[in-house]
Amino acid sequence: MLLELKNIFKWVTVGGNRVFLLKDVNLQVQEGEFISIMGPSGSGKSTMLNVIGMLDGFDEGEYNFLHESVHKLKEKQRAQLYKQYIGFVFQQYHLIDELTVYENIETPLLYQDVKSSERKAMVADMLDRFNIVGKKDLFPAQLSGGQQQLVGIARALIAKPKLILADEPTGNLNSKQGEEIMDLFTQLNKEGVTIIQVTHSEKNAAYAGRTIHLLDGRIEQQVTN
Amino acid sequence: MFRNYLKTAFRNLAKNKVYSFINIAGLSIGLACAMLILLYTKDEASYDRFLPGVNNIYRIVSKEVNPDGSILMQSGNTGSFHGPAFASGVPEIVSFVRFQGDYVNIKKGTEVLGQDAHRVDSNFFSIMQFPLVYGNGKTALQQPDAIVLSETVARKFFGSADVVGKTLQLQRNGTFKPYTVTAVAKDCPQNSSIKFQMLTKMELSAEEISDRMNWFNFFLNTFVVLAPGADAKQVEKKMMRFYEMDARETIKIVAEKYNYKAKAQYTLQPYTDIHLSKEYRADNGMVGASNPMYSYILSGIALFILLIACINFVNLTVARSLKRAREIGVRKVIGSDRRQLIGQFLGESYILCFIAFVLALGIAQLLLPFFNDLSNKALSLTYLFDVKLVSSYAALFLVTGFLAGFYPALVLSGFNPVETLYNRFRLTGKNYLQRSLVVLQFSLATLLIIATVVMYRQFQFLVSKDLGYNDKHVLTVPNVTGNKIAVFRQELLKNPNIEQVAIRNNGFNVTLARINGNKELEFTMDWVDADYLPLYKIPVIQGRNFSRSFSSDTASAVIVNEAFVKAAGWKDAVGQVVDFWYNNKKYTVVGVVKDYHYAALNEVIKPQLLCNNEDNFGLAVIRIKEGSAAAVLPFIEQQYKSIVPLQPYSYEFKDISNQRQYEAEAKWKKMLLFGAVLTIFISCIGLFGLSVLAAEKRLKEVGVRKVLGASVTTIATALSKDFLLLVVISLFIAMPIAWLLANKWLQNYPYRAALSWWLFAAAGAGVVLLALLTVSFQAIRAAMAKPVKSLRTE
Repeated sequence: MLLELKNIFKWVTVGGNRVFLLKDVNLQVQEGEFISIMGPSGSGKSTMLNVIGMLDGFDEGEYNFLHESVHKLKEKQRAQLYKQYIGFVFQQYHLIDELTVYENIETPLLYQDVKSSERKAMVADMLDRFNIVGKKDLFPAQLSGGQQQLVGIARALIAKPKLILADEPTGNLNSKQGEEIMDLFTQLNKEGVTIIQVTHSEKNAAYAGRTIHLLDGRIEQQVTN
Repeated sequence: MFRNYLKTAFRNLAKNKVYSFINIAGLSIGLACAMLILLYTKDEASYDRFLPGVNNIYRIVSKEVNPDGSILMQSGNTGSFHGPAFASGVPEIVSFVRFQGDYVNIKKGTEVLGQDAHRVDSNFFSIMQFPLVYGNGKTALQQPDAIVLSETVARKFFGSADVVGKTLQLQRNGTFKPYTVTAVAKDCPQNSSIKFQMLTKMELSAEEISDRMNWFNFFLNTFVVLAPGADAKQVEKKMMRFYEMDARETIKIVAEKYNYKAKAQYTLQPYTDIHLSKEYRADNGMVGASNPMYSYILSGIALFILLIACINFVNLTVARSLKRAREIGVRKVIGSDRRQLIGQFLGESYILCFIAFVLALGIAQLLLPFFNDLSNKALSLTYLFDVKLVSSYAALFLVTGFLAGFYPALVLSGFNPVETLYNRFRLTGKNYLQRSLVVLQFSLATLLIIATVVMYRQFQFLVSKDLGYNDKHVLTVPNVTGNKIAVFRQELLKNPNIEQVAIRNNGFNVTLARINGNKELEFTMDWVDADYLPLYKIPVIQGRNFSRSFSSDTASAVIVNEAFVKAAGWKDAVGQVVDFWYNNKKYTVVGVVKDYHYAALNEVIKPQLLCNNEDNFGLAVIRIKEGSAAAVLPFIEQQYKSIVPLQPYSYEFKDISNQRQYEAEAKWKKMLLFGAVLTIFISCIGLFGLSVLAAEKRLKEVGVRKVLGASVTTIATALSKDFLLLVVISLFIAMPIAWLLANKWLQNYPYRAALSWWLFAAAGAGVVLLALLTVSFQAIRAAMAKPVKSLRTE
């Protein structure tokens, strides 16, 4: 098992009242799964994704990731953990504007102290694989949305994570670009990468093996496609 | 990793030109100032330390203490007697050398040139080891007719430095005698209290050497070398014991004869302390005496400027962090930890600081001539180029980068990635730090501006105050003595452009005499002829002026000023007797002049006594017609040269020499102005940057307001108001402090400009106006923008 959420609660206090963002969420994810999270706006999809990605904490419950109890870890160890195993893909791509395509993809390796020669080879591989060798010296602003998202995914993959968390990865793309990205995810999943994506689109959700429906911070139903 | 940071940093700098400019301009100006001040303080601290064995060299200084404990006199001077006496009586004093300022006339062909010189003992070079270019220091000053020249002076007289064996004609006791150059020394370094151009051997009469009365003569510097390891405090005790024993008889005689009750105290002043000493100044041939206050004020201003520039950096970086929040979030998500981000942002501040540092070196080099003029120095960046200076510059760089970068780095690296990535992020709180820092900046700037305004007022007051006499169109010519006086006057008055000629003593003389039978009074004594008071238009308010028709005037008449009358307590001054008991002369007061400022306005008018005795006459005072200077100056020179052939000719305009008394004030004034302009400039560009960011942040709000019908004026006011409020707060902080400081400073002057409220109001209004211009420019631009545009970006 890759990860397990047990009775996760997360809330904020507004005017003395607890507003639940996540309410008793239980989820088990096996390595190699492809999962979609769906639900209306404000149902807690992104929050859940961030909790899984360890970017956000929770107030109650247990979270085990590869036999580590995340809720017991210190901030630093947690960062170490997600740095090593998790890659993130965002709706707004979130590339660093001041860095070129090449540099954007390279940056996670820098933070993991990968040697220069090794880095070069890894980035070159990735550029090659995504067919963006010709764009490596361009800045994000010079790319189309689809291309930016490709770079975003390349960056998420460069450190060879076990898990990709994608928050509406096709939300800002047209349907053709979206399809390409989803094909890419399917391909990656076949290669063994676990993928959890948040999406609004039934069509994209169908690429996954399992779809989780959230409502008001609660898992309403799980559907196996 | 480092390259990645470097790239982001540079691309960020290039992308945000306004902020980069504000930060780099501010920091480089601040750093340049700090560099110059470091150079200055380094030079001050290095003064005289280049001499080998300088730590064992001391100057004998003395203090005369009254029986009631008050100090009668305090000076670095000793006489010819003290050195040899103490050296013979105190074993720890290994050797001594005496050093006295001198001025000699030198004949070169038919011309006579005045030349600064010093008289020293023959062992001068074995104690003060100034390097020689030619000759041998040990033997150079053995012969009475030997002279040692500096390289520059050697070139001046001979055209080359290799002049050992050549002779110069020096005037001694009225006649010119040949002196042989025995050595040529390298020019003294600029950070030396001794800067000799010409040295001659000190010649002393048998009486000067043996007469114990000379314990009471003080007119030169005596330096002693202590045995290595000797404790100066112990040596001082031994000196006092020796003095009390050796001079016992003399002390008794002086006490009886002159009713002199003060007791002399001798101490040792380390040679390296002389330069910055206030009690025992470098004088009598020593030069460059400096007030440590200058170092403090200069350092203070430099620190202000640097601090204000750093505040700009902190404020702008934090305010701009909104724009970089996303990058920070992304970096965190893809694996950066907080330490690495702090490193990145600190690194960016160091890159910026480095650019500013390099620019600052250039600016410092450019400003150096101006700064040298202000600080009376001859500094250059290369001249003090050593490990210490380089390391202090390196420290300056590191501290500045850290000061500017650390806080923003800490804030920025602490952003929560989830918030920044989902556009939920906003800088919370009221941003008190930013506001306080702006207030601090403007308080400092206002403080300096008010200080400058007050300084200008006081300076204006000093140079324009009525002195009680007319110093316009008056020039003085020294070295007119004896029977030359009458001829010179007579010849000058033949020129219709010369209105009046008077004569007085050259220099300044303070002495004491008895009045009312037994009261002793200290006063300034000057010797003037009958034309002197009319020439300067100084009114005689009681009695009469000196007159050539009273032949007794030269022997026994004196005129006193009002201050003298007041100090003496006289009701009717005319006819009173002034008794110079120590040389058996009594004078009768024949007139009283209205008080006039014969000395600088830094002092109250003290008692003055004018005497008509022509023995001390030596300075011709000439009043010329307005606007005739060009025509009349060559005439005076020509007359002088034909009447007084063997003296160097020089002249000085009285009003100019009066102005020169306020040179120190003039320099302070310039320094403060410079500091004030820089601080307000840097503060304003910082404020500009903040207002740009604030306007950007409120772009949407402005758009909404406009759609709802707000006018440009209301919006511009809303945008400017916050910043102006901060500036007004700074005024309220700075003004009381400035008022206190200005008052305290003005206490130094007995005659001072009034500190009127409008000075402060004007300075404050100026600051507010500048701030308003700075802020409103951006506010109006933002308010004029089309709302459609700003709203659509959302």
